[in-house]
Amino acid sequence: MQVALKIWRYDPVAGDKALREYEFDAPEEATLLDCLDIVKDRIDGSLAYRKSCRMMICGSCGMRMDGAAVLACQTRMAPIAEAGHVPVVSSMGNLPIIKDLVVDMTPFWDKFLAVKPYLQPGYEEPPEDKEFVIPQERMNVIHKESLCINCGCCVSECNAMESDPEFLGPQALAKGMRFVGDPRDGAKVERLEAYNSEHGIWECTRCYFCNERCPKGVDPRDAIAKLGAESVAEGIDRDMGAKHANWFVTSAKTTGWLRETELVPKTQGIVTSVKQMKFALGLARRGKVPPPFPPHVAEKVEEARALYDLVKEEGRAGALGIVQGERALGRIEHDEEGPAER
Amino acid sequence: MKRVAYYKGCLASLSAKELDSSTQALAPKVGLELVDLESVTCCGAGDIHEAEPDYYLHLNARILAYAEAEKCDTLLTVCNVCTLNLRQANWQLKKDEALRERVSTNLQRVGAPPYNGTVEVRHLLWEIAEGDGYELLKAAAHKGLKGLKIAPFYGCQILRPSKILGFEDPDRPWSLERIIEACGGEAIDYPAKVKCCGFPIIQAREETALGELIQPIEQAKEAGAHAIVTPCPLCHLSLDAWQSKLKASTGKDFQMPILHLSQLVGVAAGLHESELKFKRHVVSMTPVLEKLEV
Repeated sequence: MQVALKIWRYDPVAGDKALREYEFDAPEEATLLDCLDIVKDRIDGSLAYRKSCRMMICGSCGMRMDGAAVLACQTRMAPIAEAGHVPVVSSMGNLPIIKDLVVDMTPFWDKFLAVKPYLQPGYEEPPEDKEFVIPQERMNVIHKESLCINCGCCVSECNAMESDPEFLGPQALAKGMRFVGDPRDGAKVERLEAYNSEHGIWECTRCYFCNERCPKGVDPRDAIAKLGAESVAEGIDRDMGAKHANWFVTSAKTTGWLRETELVPKTQGIVTSVKQMKFALGLARRGKVPPPFPPHVAEKVEEARALYDLVKEEGRAGALGIVQGERALGRIEHDEEGPAER
Repeated sequence: MKRVAYYKGCLASLSAKELDSSTQALAPKVGLELVDLESVTCCGAGDIHEAEPDYYLHLNARILAYAEAEKCDTLLTVCNVCTLNLRQANWQLKKDEALRERVSTNLQRVGAPPYNGTVEVRHLLWEIAEGDGYELLKAAAHKGLKGLKIAPFYGCQILRPSKILGFEDPDRPWSLERIIEACGGEAIDYPAKVKCCGFPIIQAREETALGELIQPIEQAKEAGAHAIVTPCPLCHLSLDAWQSKLKASTGKDFQMPILHLSQLVGVAAGLHESELKFKRHVVSMTPVLEKLEV
């Protein structure tokens, strides 16, 4: 098939950036990575990109096509070429460019290491001469997180990191969850404390780009929500983000609806809220600050209250509550009949 | 008329009452009969999902159960965040029968109706971007927008994660553009239209949120937009109300008017100010309305 693509080239020596177009013949089954190989072999040997396994395992060939992060080895070119589309290939976002499609992964690895991505001692020893058997229900909590191949596609698109480069970000936090949810790890509370830092879980802006882009179905945003749920369940809720989340729970079980006007002082505390007073008055003039009294109470709110007590009794707090129906949500699913009997 | 259960959510009941009044006024013109629900609560806005996930699931199941009890196939939402939260819970409950049974039993234990998984959650945007709703919209928008340049701002949780939302390509959405054009406006294109407005962290991490918020407003302004339209009241609140904070932090005074989707169509359909309630906006709508007068 005839393939045309444009590549954003970057020459670090001259500092030049240029969009170059390439046209060539490629086999029907060619991926974007195969096409880059063809360009490099036949047209321009100076093209720089990373690659290794060619089979979605090594995580080396993360890059952007038409602005969206992909693994080059996963992206088939036939439908694109047949549609007559000329895609634009560029380096991943949120990471400095070294040359052409190669980015400097140092900030990525620094954050990865910051979450201590390894089992920490202190866990219960298995019974003598026995393996440490983890129940399936516990494994389900970190199944998706353990699929991560560190490719950086999620980080490339993270909206919060674009605004604050120090945000720990989706990959590191998903990796953190992989150990928080591992029953063999002995540092769960210390980890949660660390991930509740200024640039930790509560800086996630819930744009869901990470879930959308991840080529392995890790769903990093869901992992961050699991860390939030685990933190709240452990009583680690001093961050404004946790207070904000808890206020929604309080609102739902008291009035049924969000108690909007009280949200700011409950999240930020009285002192910070007072500093917001001028801003709040501006909003109040437009009816954007509904009076808290009389409260806006839902009909039959006692049902919502009783549900809260019932849910508490059933004890599915923390990450366990999030993975319910995970089989339905997971991109990597068992067949329709469910997992095979063992 | 299509009978739909109407879930207005927290903001349209409180700080964004203009979204509720314009939606109620517009609905019959686009073939929707809004059915009020006997009893519903907050969807949790992603916050209860993060703090008490099992409670989130039960609250959303209860909303779906009350819609089902009204014999409605569709639960109509007017907020991105409500849409994702309800669709996510609904997906879980529909696909996992054991889970639905447990939750449904719990609903009945507290006196709520059971949930059998028969409801679809759909945003107003999807109802009027295609099919009968779109045809009726074209006929209803008789006053038109007189070539007004409108920047569509989708926000996040009506596009992503697409496996739960799935109405349109999250990277190349078309629904808002189609509606703007059907109303006689000109849709402006700009990269940040599918990005985050920063609202979920605007209280806990204001600086990071403002760094996100400025992008759509600045890009829309540079592209010559007269106003931005959004299908989400949370995006509306940050784009409209927090614009003054951008002025304080960057010195840039954008004065970019922000419209709810129902207001944009409502203007084109000739709704009255008492229904559109533009006076409730922080950034003045006057320049836009003056352009429409000419």
